[in-house]
Amino acid sequence: MSEENSKPDLNEDSNVLESHMDLIDASAASSRENHLRENGMEPVSLWVFLACGIALIIGGAVIGKGGSISFGALNDYVLNGYIQGDPPGGEVVEMQPKPIIDVFVKNGAKIYQAKCQGCHQSNGLGDGANYPPLGNSEWVTGETAALSQIIMNGLMGPIEVDGRVWNGAMPSQAAGMTAADLAAVMTYIRNSFGNETGDVVSVEMGENAIAKYKERGVAAGPIQVAELESKYKLNLEGEVVDPQVKVNPETLEKIEE
Amino acid sequence: MSNQLSNNLDSSLRTSIDRSVSNPVMFFFTSGAAWLAVAVLLGILTSVKSHWPSFLEGCGALNTGRAYIAHLNVLIYGWAFQAAFGTIVWLMARLCRKPSEKSGVILMAGHLWNLGVSIGIIGILLGKGTGVPWMEFPVATWVIFLICYVLIAVWSFIQFRVREGGHVYVSQWYLLSAIFLFPWIYGTANIFIFVFDGHPVMTSAIAAWYKSAVVLLFFIPIAIASAYYIAPKVTGRPVYSYNLAIFGFWSLMAVGPWAGMQKLMGAPLPPLLGYLGAGAAILFFIPAITVGLNILMTVRSNGERAKQSPSLRFTAAGIIALVTMGIFGIFLNLPSVLQGVQFSMSGYGYEMLALYGVFTMCMFGAIYFIVPRITMREWLSIRFIKMHFNLSVYGIIAIVIGSILGGYLQGNAQQAWDEPWMNAATSTYAWNVFNSFAWFFILISNLFFCLHLLLMWMRLGRRSNHPTLLIEKHGDSPHGLEGKIQTT
Repeated sequence: MSEENSKPDLNEDSNVLESHMDLIDASAASSRENHLRENGMEPVSLWVFLACGIALIIGGAVIGKGGSISFGALNDYVLNGYIQGDPPGGEVVEMQPKPIIDVFVKNGAKIYQAKCQGCHQSNGLGDGANYPPLGNSEWVTGETAALSQIIMNGLMGPIEVDGRVWNGAMPSQAAGMTAADLAAVMTYIRNSFGNETGDVVSVEMGENAIAKYKERGVAAGPIQVAELESKYKLNLEGEVVDPQVKVNPETLEKIEE
Repeated sequence: MSNQLSNNLDSSLRTSIDRSVSNPVMFFFTSGAAWLAVAVLLGILTSVKSHWPSFLEGCGALNTGRAYIAHLNVLIYGWAFQAAFGTIVWLMARLCRKPSEKSGVILMAGHLWNLGVSIGIIGILLGKGTGVPWMEFPVATWVIFLICYVLIAVWSFIQFRVREGGHVYVSQWYLLSAIFLFPWIYGTANIFIFVFDGHPVMTSAIAAWYKSAVVLLFFIPIAIASAYYIAPKVTGRPVYSYNLAIFGFWSLMAVGPWAGMQKLMGAPLPPLLGYLGAGAAILFFIPAITVGLNILMTVRSNGERAKQSPSLRFTAAGIIALVTMGIFGIFLNLPSVLQGVQFSMSGYGYEMLALYGVFTMCMFGAIYFIVPRITMREWLSIRFIKMHFNLSVYGIIAIVIGSILGGYLQGNAQQAWDEPWMNAATSTYAWNVFNSFAWFFILISNLFFCLHLLLMWMRLGRRSNHPTLLIEKHGDSPHGLEGKIQTT
C-alpha cells in the first residue's frame, strides 16, 4: 500500500474493498488460514486410560524396586543382578596355577610395602642409622621362629646385624596379620635383598608362629635378643612345602597336575 | 460485509506479525537447516566408521570419537535449538497477537549462537571437547549459549505478558514451560558439572539427566506446541479433547524432570535414583499416548487435509513417532531389559527417535507452515516435499529399528560373558551397515529440504494465492495449481 492510502477507510479516493482484496492477495497464506479452536469435547476412549493405567502399574513397580532413599556404604548401592556370579552355563574360569614360592613372594611384597618398607626401605637395606638391614642378616635367613616373633612382637634393645650393633625399637606388626600373610612376608624377605634361602614358610608354619605369639602373651610387649636366643632359636613347626609346587594364587590351594 | 471486514483486519494483523518476525525466524530456519546437513554428513561418517574403521583413517580431526560427538552436538545445538527458536518466536507472536518489536536483538543473538556452535564444533574436532555427553562443546561456550538463549526467548515471554485477550491456547502452555524450563536444566547441568567440583559418578549422573530433561522438557514440548497449533489450524477442526490436552500437559510436566539417571543403573549411586529414572521414563508413555491421541484424532477429523498438507503430514508423522517413543520407553526401561541395553547402541536409537522422529519431523511441519507466510511465497515443488517426507520417514524408521533392535541384540550378546567380547562387537556389523544406509536416505531427503528452503529464502518461491498441496494429478504442473499471480 502506498503512503496516501495508509488510512484507506478515510480516503475518499480509494476503493476500500479493492485495497482489502489487494492485502488478501499479498498475504494469501495468512488470509486463507482457519481460526484456531481448542474447545473440542469429544469423548475419550476408555482404552487410553486402561493403557495409561498399565503404564502406571509398570512404572510404579519399577520405582518401588528402588527401595527407600539410602545414603549408606558403597556396598548398599550395588544392585542385584549387576554383580555377576558364575557365568550362565559356562565353567568357572580358574586362575592359572603358579609355583607357591612365586605366589608367596608376590603377596609378601605387598605386605612388605604396607608394613615394613617405611623403616627397612624398599631395597631392604635399612637406613644405615637406626634401622638394620634385612639383606645379609642372619636373623632373617636363620631360624624362622625367631624371625616370626620379631615381626609379631616387635623388638627392643641392642641387636647385632651384619657386623654392627643396632639399638632401635621396632613396634609389633601383629595387627591384622593372618597366618598366610605372615608366611608370605617371611618368604618374601628370606628370598629378597640378596637373601636366597630358597624355601617357603608354609601357612601351617605361620599358624604355628601366631600360636607362639599368643602363648607368649599379646600384651607382653617387644621381645629382646636374650629371650630370642633362649627360647626361639628353632624353626617353626608345620608342613614343609616344596617351593615349586603349583597352587591357586587366590585360594593358595595345591593343584595336582 | 462486516464479517468480511473483520476477517480482513485480522488477516492484516497476522500479516504484520509475520513481517515483524520474518528476519530472525527465516535466519533460524535456514542456518538450522545448514547445520542439519552438516550433522547428517557427520552421522553418515560415524556410522560408516563403525563398520569400516579404516575409512578416513589418516584424518585425526574426523576420528570416530570426535566425529560422533560433533554429529550429536551439531544436530542438537546447530539444528534442533535453532528450529525451536524459530518456532517459539513465530508461534508465540502469532498466539499473543503481538508483532515483535525486538527482531533485531533476536537476530543478533541468533548470529552469536551460530558463532558459538562454530567455535564449539571446531573445538571438538581439534580434540578440545569436554567429554560430557551432549555438552561436549569447550567449557567456555555454555555461558555464551545461555546469554543468547535469554536474549532470544525473553521477548516471547514479554509478548506473553502483554498478549491480546486473556485466553491462553494449549500451544502457549508448552511454549511457556519450555522457555522457562530450558535455562533451569541447562544452568543446573553446567553449573554442577563444570563449576562445582562434584564427585565424578554424580557428574555423569547429572549429564545423563541433562540429556533426558532437555529432550522431555524442551524439545518434546516445542514439538507438541507446534503440533497443537498446526493440527487444528490446517484441518479447521477444534482440538479433539480439551480435557485430554490438560491431562497430557500436566502428566508431561510431572514425569519429565525425574527421568534420565536410569542410564547410571548399577553405578555406585543410591539405587533409588536409577529406578526413579527408569520409572519416569516408563511413565512418559502417559503424556505421549494422550497428546498423540489428541492430535492424531484432530488430524483424522479431516483426513483429506492430512494427505494434502505437507505441514500436517510431517506433524502427524512426528506425533506417531511420539507415541512410538512412549511405547519403546516402556520396554527399554524395564530393569531386566535396561541391564542388557545400557551399554549398547539402543540408547542412540531412542535419542534419534526423540530428536529426529518426533522433534525434527514436527519442526519440518512447522517450517512448511511458517515459511510461506513470512516470505509471502509458496513452496516451489511438490516433488521436493514428497521426496523430503518419504526419505525422512524411511530413514528414521530404519535408524530406529537398526539401533534399538540392533542395540538390544548387542546388549544381550555382551551379557554372554563366556564368549569373547569381540563376538558382541562384531555382531553389530550388519546393523551398522543398515544404519549407514538409513543415514544416506536422510542425507538425500535433507538435500532436497535444504535446497528448497534456500530457494524460499532467496525469495524465489511461487507467487500465487494457492498453497502447494501434495496433490498430483497426471499431466498437472509439478508445482500444483497456479492460481492468481500476485501483483504486489
